[in-house]
Amino acid sequence: MVSYLEHCRAIDELLGLYALVVDGQEWERWPALFAEDCYYAVVSIENVEQDLPLAYMLDDSRERILDRVKFVREVWAGTVEPYRTRHSIQRTMTMDLGSGVYEVQANFLVGYTLGDGTAGMLAMGHYEDQIAVGEEGALFLRKVVYLDNVPPRYLIYPL
Amino acid sequence: MSNDFEAVRRKVALRFREPTKLPKEIFSDEAIYREELQRFFYGPYWHPVAHRAELPATGSFKTTWLAEVPVILTRTADDEVRAFINSCSHRGALLEQRRCGVAAQFECPYHRWLFGNDGGFIGAPGRKEFRSDFCETDYSLVPLRVAEHAGLIFVSRDSLAPDLQSFLGAAASPLADCMLDDGRLKLIGYQKVIYQANWKAYIDNDPYHAPLLHAAFRLLNWHGSKGQLITTRPYGHMCILYQINHYVDNGFLNDPSAISFLGTDDRARVVALRPVTGITKHLDTINIRFARPLGVNRTEVSYAFFGHQDDTPEYLEHRVRQSSNLLGPSGYISIEDAAIYNRVQLTTNDGGYARFVKGVGKPRDQWSQNDEASNTEWWAHYRTRMGFAPEGSADG
Ligand code: FES
Ligand SMILES: [Fe+2]
Repeated sequence: MVSYLEHCRAIDELLGLYALVVDGQEWERWPALFAEDCYYAVVSIENVEQDLPLAYMLDDSRERILDRVKFVREVWAGTVEPYRTRHSIQRTMTMDLGSGVYEVQANFLVGYTLGDGTAGMLAMGHYEDQIAVGEEGALFLRKVVYLDNVPPRYLIYPL
Repeated sequence: MSNDFEAVRRKVALRFREPTKLPKEIFSDEAIYREELQRFFYGPYWHPVAHRAELPATGSFKTTWLAEVPVILTRTADDEVRAFINSCSHRGALLEQRRCGVAAQFECPYHRWLFGNDGGFIGAPGRKEFRSDFCETDYSLVPLRVAEHAGLIFVSRDSLAPDLQSFLGAAASPLADCMLDDGRLKLIGYQKVIYQANWKAYIDNDPYHAPLLHAAFRLLNWHGSKGQLITTRPYGHMCILYQINHYVDNGFLNDPSAISFLGTDDRARVVALRPVTGITKHLDTINIRFARPLGVNRTEVSYAFFGHQDDTPEYLEHRVRQSSNLLGPSGYISIEDAAIYNRVQLTTNDGGYARFVKGVGKPRDQWSQNDEASNTEWWAHYRTRMGFAPEGSADG
């Protein structure tokens, strides 16, 4: 039997890999971190507290996650001002839902640096993820990004 | 008017020869910015600050800002929307710090003075010891003028602002179209962002710009339909009226469902109200962009999205999916607009000009949807109001 600790290690590896992929802007690898049936959203905590359903980004299927990659790589490039990000992620809660599925919460801070070297804090908040752990490691079934702050610029890349 | 501004005004006036050629320092000069707050934001204009849908019940309130002035909006028992400066009339503590909620009364935390949501002073601890000439009516919250159009709430600090309908002019009707005529909207949420751009750079490049900017239009095979353009005088509000054309799937997207049009009301509208509010109705989205200058080169925009109270749950869900992905600060289409505000602002200190060319010189009634001339009515007005135009010049 695989132990809880081993599952936690797989989850941490997924969270680490997630930071590596988005900060490295390896957008073709980003959808591969999600299970076949998946969901990705960025929402503001302010809307959530008011029971308002609007999101900043809402990809409720694998197709839409793939479309986001298309926009980032093919549509917006050259017009938008690119920036580099650094995700710092800390797992804060792990709940076993059975059958290798976990409800995971993690805090995040995302710093950003512009082309001219100026830097600042882009986003802070927490993730509420559902993660499936299997033989080949862990994958996101669902990832919801809860944003605490008003971003100091428009968001191009998934958080 | 400050002496600082008078010196700048003379210099700028020499360079601001026509409303189609803007000296770029108007986007970056601190003294001009301070003067604009007085003349436009606190002057005789109307500013949208909320939609009635954000105040869903009697007793609802919303806090917001008119430039640097904190504002509280309340919906009182008689179902009127009222607006006050959100500052305690005693020593000036910010009275309400929540963004929104329901309250019949507001208690200041400092010395516990109590105000009704109609702005009236209700009472205070130690009231008997107050100065002998204390008159309660002198200590009401400071009211702002309020006017409403299709549920959109406007405020003004200036008693000289004309009545709202004269202010809106021919923009009133397209604006009501955006609010689905009856204004019975339902709030679905906000997307907030701060742009590193002057408020004028934001509004000058938001509602109107050539579709050339949008690579997305090309890839999605979207073509601008022939629209009707309305500009008003003297304020230069601008409206584009067109018809939604259905997205024809060209295989570019894996899942085009979120950008498909499922509604029956195919009126598409883009409205720019002066000084700084953009309102759009596009596909199945209804969007009011409440903008607030945070300084000469920063503007916060709160994109509020709406549905209609009679929407079916399925249609409302579609509106949420579409609103979340299409026209906000990270939207498929509008992210490209966002990039331009910042990129325009970055060059405002180079001593040059921003120039309007397309359609300029054509008679006004021949301007088309994609003519840059459409923004120049506003610039004529701005130039006059700021004293940059020669004395007695007719424009604006
Ligand atoms: S400042 Fe509000 S009660 Fe004194
Ligand atoms: Fe645009």
